[in-house]
Amino acid sequence: MQKINRNVVLALLSLTSLIFLLFQLCYYKFYLSQKNGAAFSKVRGSQSGQESTRWHVVRKFLGLISSHNIPVYLIDPLILRLVDKDIEQIRSSPDGPSPECKYFCTPRDFTTFALLDKTWKHEVGLFKTAEKMGFQWLKIINKDPRLDGMDDLSGMEIPLHYIFKLASHAIHLVVFYERSGNFLWHGPLRLKQHMDRKFVPFRKLHFGRYPGAYEKPELLLVSIDDLEVQIPKNPSSFLEEMSHSRFLECRYREARAFFQLYPDDASLDAVEFRKKAKSLLHLAALTLNNLGVKFWLSSGTCLGWYRQCNVIPYSKDVDLGIFIRDYKADIIPAFQNAGLPLKHKFGKVEDSLELSFQGEGDVKLDIFFFYEEDDYIWNGGTQAKSGKKFKYLFPKFTLCWTEFVELKVHVPCETLQYVEANYGLEWKVPVKTWDWKSSPFNVQDNGVWPIDEWDNVIQIY
Amino acid sequence: MDEWKPNPTVKPHKKRSWYLAWKYKLMNQRALRKLCQTGAVLFLLVTVIVNIKLILDTRRAAYEEEEESAQDYDDEMLNVEAPRHPVNNKKVLDVEVYSSRSKVYVAVDGTTVLEDEAREQGRGIHVIVLNQATGHVMAKRVFDTYSPHEDEAMVLFLNMVARGRILIFTIKDEGSFHLKETAKSVLKSLGSQVAPFLSWRDMWTFVGKKGGEVYGEKHAKSPALSTWGEPVLLKTEVHLTSVEDAECHWPDTELNRRRRRFCSKVEGYGSVCSCKDPTPIEFNPDPLKDNKVFDVPVAVIAGNRPNYLYRMLRSLLSAQGVNPQMITVFIDGYYEEPMDVVELFGLSGIQHTPISIKNARVSQHYKASLTATFNLFPDAKFAVVLEEDLDISVDFFSFLSQSIHLLEEDESLYCISAWNDQGYEHTAEDPSLLYRVETMPGLGWVLQKSLYKDELEPKWPTPEKLWDWDMWMRMPEQRKGRECIIPDISRSYHFGIVGLNMNGYFHEAYFKKHKFNTVPNVQLKNVESLRKDNYETEIHRLLGEAEVLDHSKNPCEDSFVPDTEGRVYVMFIRMEQEADFTTWTQLAKCLHIWDLDVRGNHKGLWRLFRKKNHFLVVGVPASPYSSKKPSSVTPIFMEPPAKEEGAVAVPAVAAAEQT
Repeated sequence: MQKINRNVVLALLSLTSLIFLLFQLCYYKFYLSQKNGAAFSKVRGSQSGQESTRWHVVRKFLGLISSHNIPVYLIDPLILRLVDKDIEQIRSSPDGPSPECKYFCTPRDFTTFALLDKTWKHEVGLFKTAEKMGFQWLKIINKDPRLDGMDDLSGMEIPLHYIFKLASHAIHLVVFYERSGNFLWHGPLRLKQHMDRKFVPFRKLHFGRYPGAYEKPELLLVSIDDLEVQIPKNPSSFLEEMSHSRFLECRYREARAFFQLYPDDASLDAVEFRKKAKSLLHLAALTLNNLGVKFWLSSGTCLGWYRQCNVIPYSKDVDLGIFIRDYKADIIPAFQNAGLPLKHKFGKVEDSLELSFQGEGDVKLDIFFFYEEDDYIWNGGTQAKSGKKFKYLFPKFTLCWTEFVELKVHVPCETLQYVEANYGLEWKVPVKTWDWKSSPFNVQDNGVWPIDEWDNVIQIY
Repeated sequence: MDEWKPNPTVKPHKKRSWYLAWKYKLMNQRALRKLCQTGAVLFLLVTVIVNIKLILDTRRAAYEEEEESAQDYDDEMLNVEAPRHPVNNKKVLDVEVYSSRSKVYVAVDGTTVLEDEAREQGRGIHVIVLNQATGHVMAKRVFDTYSPHEDEAMVLFLNMVARGRILIFTIKDEGSFHLKETAKSVLKSLGSQVAPFLSWRDMWTFVGKKGGEVYGEKHAKSPALSTWGEPVLLKTEVHLTSVEDAECHWPDTELNRRRRRFCSKVEGYGSVCSCKDPTPIEFNPDPLKDNKVFDVPVAVIAGNRPNYLYRMLRSLLSAQGVNPQMITVFIDGYYEEPMDVVELFGLSGIQHTPISIKNARVSQHYKASLTATFNLFPDAKFAVVLEEDLDISVDFFSFLSQSIHLLEEDESLYCISAWNDQGYEHTAEDPSLLYRVETMPGLGWVLQKSLYKDELEPKWPTPEKLWDWDMWMRMPEQRKGRECIIPDISRSYHFGIVGLNMNGYFHEAYFKKHKFNTVPNVQLKNVESLRKDNYETEIHRLLGEAEVLDHSKNPCEDSFVPDTEGRVYVMFIRMEQEADFTTWTQLAKCLHIWDLDVRGNHKGLWRLFRKKNHFLVVGVPASPYSSKKPSSVTPIFMEPPAKEEGAVAVPAVAAAEQT
């Protein structure tokens, strides 16, 4: 009797032990998967579960956003790339259930959406609801660059990024602001001292490493994976734009310091010249953008932007740079149609091409074409009377966007090297007498045009 | 524990023989067997306990982790909020108050919260309000009760202060000359024993709690008319209450959070901070149908007059068709209280480091504000420019919405303004009527971006030029013959009494009787006729139907205009050339309208109302409308009075003088 009892007790206890063991294992596994999610581990433990988490988080977020009437649009490069492949199909059948989760379930840590600042009122209610729905959120604020150029204005800091995190997925909401020059701008993502650096793996974000400039996109409402969402009408051009979107702010503080040293010329002549230069630049930008020719501020105009965030009043012309690979024969007729007659044309497409157009009231538009070599970039110059050729060398550079006289234009990202190559280390000191053949720091003699080519390479109108 | 598997059923079958042998052996060693069994039981129990503990532990760890990350976020929020409210746990405040002819000061716990020894200013009764829980200064005011009506302002202010606040009074120079009975009795009700007997050049200090105890009072009588009382210094202690007692218990909403923040910092805004039925801070006026100015940014130019700003924003946010998101308040200087007001209403505010002095400072502030406005709203073609001392009419945006297209389409226009310089109670009548005028009135106006960016901004007067921005804008180099559109009845009301170019006398003479539209949704009747050429047709039509008044009578007399209603009358005055305003100025003076410079003219024609009749004044022969003058009529000529009388027009200097 006793023996049986004991055995039974033993058996029972072992059973409970086993059950507990199993339970513990289960629990451990669950806990582990949760932790994995939080840390965005790459372990592909439960693929299907993770996939549907992403979809669910996106759905919840879209629900949250639409309940507060906030218009956001999808700018996630991973998803847009997928969407772009099927764009025809998606456009043609805007709704209808999709058989599988093709887009929102793809493996990734974030889904990125954009929000136009002016389309919502900074309601606190949104975040309360978000918290109730289980989202954790982070707001990144910083100075308003639109006030940066102003003498001593201090506005409130503006929100640049929001991150909403739920379970193993996070939504990155990028706030876009309208800037003078008719473009959209988003700020860089910079964490302040006391912020949680581990909130999400910030380095993996697609937006926020640099500020960016974009055209105002046309939007399209589509239904993908059974979710209604706005996307840029043309995802591929958006993705293309995104890869060259880096934006440089003008160095307003340095510009102010410059004007402290060398007070600005406020004479009527200077005001008039700036006005003309500005409208000439606007006209040139319009013309070249219509042709799809990429250009940047060069020489004196670039120096004006970099040093004083304005047109240098004594510079007498507007200088632009264009890569020779972007040259189009239409450029000359296009400018002529825009009311800017060709003043002179030096060089040829193969060598040292330079165009000059006559703007309104004595302001000249100079367009220099740049030739790329293996380790440097150069443009050419020609002296009309002697047929002498010059070569101006620059270190290699890429192009960034900036805002200049209410215009979104390109400047070399490596502006300092560019300006220093052209003007030397003393570029900060204004020089009013400038000789394009000898003053530039980077000028080199480049021989003489053969006489029989003169008719072609030296054209003056 | 995984290795130890005592349960026979779990074991595979082939090991049975081994098990039996083992069992047999154990049976022979009872003691050992018993021990083993007990050990097994114990071990199992331990397993269970360890298991349970493990589960609990992992659970707690998971919770803690969640809480931790939440806390990180909380910390951030706290860090932002905390520095503005240093907590003071002290229970008793030492208060020192000094009153004398040339200097007053108030120190709380050794910190000077008021010190005024400037010459020629700060005369009157200084009032300081402290928070009874924290001891923070919530309001600082000075009422020049030597001058008339300032005591009324003080009574108004004291009535607005919440019960329980600590009030500190001190007199600088003179504070009794226009301190009337009402004011004295209010001071008496606060517990002052001296106030009812305050007289010429007495010195006085008083500290008390509103609706509660008196902490101290000192007084020094002036021995004679020509001398001041001895300086007095009052030292006293004030007991602080708990924070809960000092705050109201409003329901916890977003709006009330803003209200609570505001009310714990500042005083003197009346019912917005009252515990029972506080006045709303969100107004939700009716939207406008087809609102053309919904996306037009509104720049409110402000200085350090927070009470004005409060009143102004209330009226602005109550106007139909207002879009709070487009409003930006630009504060000239790093003043906290105006910013508090802006935050109370949930608007955005920008502070501007002052550049230059006086009028040039205002002018630089305008430039920075306008530039910033067009930077912040790059899409905008216009901006509405308002000042902090204006009431905004309920149909302000409706008025602009109906007329703004003209600014874009008619190149001969300079601005649209809500203010009619000549629109006084007795000279303005028709809310649906608009005029074209050659002068720029300001005081609530619309500026076109192209005008600002292309013309004004590049040559805006630099800080060293001490110019008024509005005077500069009125100069012919800037205006270039363009005109502004104004309503007959103003859509703004200038209530500011304190200001750079403003004082009580000046305000009473030129602004108090200004007509202000209070009718909502006025349908403007002659918008299209305001275009350049149409307006000429309209004027010729008007002059054609107008009855010529009897030019033998005195135009200043009421009887000059017959006792009719709704008629159109015309009179002709002498005006030798375009800039000859001799007669007009005299006429303006006797009609009690704006006479300090010429306003409201259009090609030598002024339009106003007298006795509810439209009243046209044509300057002959300078005005092109002179041709309408019947040959029998001799234009009226009025001579300016002798020089001394003319000086009355500058009363500002007189009022600023010390006693």
